[in-house]
Amino acid sequence: MAGHSTWPEWIYVGVIVALMFWVGAEAWNVERLVEHVPADAEVIKVTGAQWFWQFEHEDGTKEVGTLHVEAGKAYKFEIHSIDVNHSFNIHDYVVLMDAVPGRVNTVWFAPDKAGEHDIQCREYCGLIHYNMRGKLIVEEPST
Amino acid sequence: MRNLLGLFLVLAVLVLVPTIDHVFAAGDEPGEYIDRRVLIWNLFFRMMTVAFTVGAVVSGTLIWICWRFRESHPKATPTPYEKEGTW
Repeated sequence: MAGHSTWPEWIYVGVIVALMFWVGAEAWNVERLVEHVPADAEVIKVTGAQWFWQFEHEDGTKEVGTLHVEAGKAYKFEIHSIDVNHSFNIHDYVVLMDAVPGRVNTVWFAPDKAGEHDIQCREYCGLIHYNMRGKLIVEEPST
Repeated sequence: MRNLLGLFLVLAVLVLVPTIDHVFAAGDEPGEYIDRRVLIWNLFFRMMTVAFTVGAVVSGTLIWICWRFRESHPKATPTPYEKEGTW
């Protein structure tokens, strides 16, 4: 039994609960949108290895260290590792996904402008982790 | 009785959250092209606005409580325990 009015406390609790619901709903909605892959996304297999990235396009073309894509298209990365945990990161496009041995993780993005961007490993993976970098080259659309 | 109520509440949440997740989750239909930079950074800024606002309100409340209920405050009154000297 409180010896004073408790309504401010209940308002406080209500505001906090409402804020928590709002935060959860917003994050949930963005996550849903971000994870929803377009139907025409080209699949690129990404393999992390100590200490480089290897890419395989749908047509079988392979690239090491440098990835060429076209602006205006969607790409779905299927990421895995052949040794230890890595993390595939294209900072400029907010792409970040762990590369885990024995597991394929997916993430997609659609570059909108031609340009060059850094690819980096974001999970400490051994001695030369700091130099496990790559280059994303976004080219003008071919058609 | 209260423990039972708490248990049911926890069970309800455990069932409700996955159900809502399932209902609203992305289905098999293809997604739209989106700019994830915009979506993710906007979410981050909105969350930071909430975090800093709540942080300011909570820390402001604590500062006010410390200021208002200090012993030297002009309107300070002894608690019942202090009056009786039983503590």
